[in-house]
Amino acid sequence: MTEAVVRLVGVAKTYWRDKTPVPVLEGISLSIEGGEFVALMGPSGSGKSTILNLLAGIDRASAGTVEVAGQNLAAMGESQLAAFRSRHIGFIFQLYNLIPVLTAFENVELPLLLTSLSKAERKKHVLSALDVVGLSDRLDHYPRQLSGGQEQRVAIARAIVTDPTILLADEPTGDLDKKSEEEVLILLKRLNVEFKKTIVMVTHDPKAAATAGRTVLLDKGVLNAKAS
Amino acid sequence: MKLLRLVFKNALRNKLRAVLTIGGSAFLMWVLIFMMTALTEFTAWEGESATKTRVAVQHSSGLANFIPSDLETYLTSEEVTRHSSCVAKLNWFSGTYINQDPQYFFARFAVDHLVMREMWDEFKIPDDQYKAWTGMKTGCIAGAALAKKQGWKIGSKIPIQGDIFACDLDLTLVALYTSSNPRDEQNLYFRWDYLDELTEGRKLVGMFWLKARTMEDMPKLKEMVDARTKNSSDPTETMTEKEFGAQFTAMMGNIKVLVAGLGSIVLMIMVLMTANTMAMVARERVTEIAVLRALGFTAPMVLFMIIGESLVLTVTGGGLALGSSVLLFNVAKLSPVPDFFPVFMVAPVTIAVAIAGGLLSAIVPALRAANRKIVDGLRQVV
Repeated sequence: MTEAVVRLVGVAKTYWRDKTPVPVLEGISLSIEGGEFVALMGPSGSGKSTILNLLAGIDRASAGTVEVAGQNLAAMGESQLAAFRSRHIGFIFQLYNLIPVLTAFENVELPLLLTSLSKAERKKHVLSALDVVGLSDRLDHYPRQLSGGQEQRVAIARAIVTDPTILLADEPTGDLDKKSEEEVLILLKRLNVEFKKTIVMVTHDPKAAATAGRTVLLDKGVLNAKAS
Repeated sequence: MKLLRLVFKNALRNKLRAVLTIGGSAFLMWVLIFMMTALTEFTAWEGESATKTRVAVQHSSGLANFIPSDLETYLTSEEVTRHSSCVAKLNWFSGTYINQDPQYFFARFAVDHLVMREMWDEFKIPDDQYKAWTGMKTGCIAGAALAKKQGWKIGSKIPIQGDIFACDLDLTLVALYTSSNPRDEQNLYFRWDYLDELTEGRKLVGMFWLKARTMEDMPKLKEMVDARTKNSSDPTETMTEKEFGAQFTAMMGNIKVLVAGLGSIVLMIMVLMTANTMAMVARERVTEIAVLRALGFTAPMVLFMIIGESLVLTVTGGGLALGSSVLLFNVAKLSPVPDFFPVFMVAPVTIAVAIAGGLLSAIVPALRAANRKIVDGLRQVV
């Protein structure tokens, strides 16, 4: 049996609006094994993105344990979390969030600037990642010179370039046309099947969720798991 | 170092804003350079004189009064020469050259020409020219910079009409001196014995200068000379060259405060202008910064990048201002106020001020951006 990459135990998250507590997650327990492709579904405000943020170490749980890649995130300081993200997390956003003044190559290279790789090694990794997403011919293009689908593929290349333990995708097809959506979903599936990447994807779209190996339903901050 | 490329690209992302900020910084830095240099020039003499071992003897009532010339006998006695190596008489002549126009104003001194080289050894006078001066009573020497400004050559006639002294000088330029400090090249010296002759041998002495043998001899000389004249009708006030210079800079006290105050205001405007730009930058890039941090960039890295951007803008602006100032004032030797500051040297400290301005401008927006929660940044709609 493959070891769990993600382990949530009794996780709760409460936000505060002025002095009023707003519970978003309550008693969430979830385990995701290495190589799994999990879709997190649920209505708006159900806490899907909050779970993604907790897994990425960019938000902290109010209660419970969040373990990713064998590390308890609650015990880490800010600089340790930054190092953890750099090493273990690949983030894919709904709106791609590429840096507009950098070319596709430079955008993909960004996470590698945090490593000790030489310039030549970085170049090799970037070319390899852009090859995987099928954009080897767009190295010098700026984000404004790319279509939405291409931008998202560059963002995926940026997410995989460090070979992270887990890919976290927040509505990765939410801003794409049908054709680009299909391309991105095929790419994610390929990353999971061919490259054995563990993927957690937040989505509203049942068709996108069908690409995943398992769908986890969230409703009002409570987990409702089912296999798909 | 790997992030510098991003810093530069971000700094120039909005071309119009970058140009306006750099232009604004350059203009304000230019004003600041002007003010700081003026302030430096006000106090330059005071600082330089601290290294000299010369001691000035003037009337205790001020420079407007004469000192009895027989004091020279005491100043050249063995008691004093144990502590000093030479003595020179010096008179401020004032007077008018051509007319009252400020361009014809310069300092004119009557001096003991035979000891001048020893007393003011920082002045370099060619031997043949110095010899010509010793052989010509109406001869005078001028700083090379002053001669250039007035268009004088060796042999030029320089008539000066007296005012404090009821006599006119009919001088001939026989020598030019240079100095390692160009500020010193703005004076004219003529022979004290020529002035004495014109004033019918009244032996009018404005000041005596003594050259102490060592720094340690200076307080002793002050004490001895003033003690000697204390109970006379013309008591003296003896002071080091630094103290002598401080008399004049003290008179400009309020001007110094005013210039320093205005300089501070200019610096503050530059800081606020750039801070406004950096605040806009940080606000516009909330999501981008959150993305960088989600990728693993640390808060100090974000801080470095935003401060770096600010430094690119202010240091470029400051560099433009400094470069043009150095070219104009230091290389081409053009002073924006030649009558007031014949020499106008750009103070190197202005580079440090440009960097400080850049740092100050960015520190608050950078800290806010770096410390913002990543989830809040990602949630921001831009």
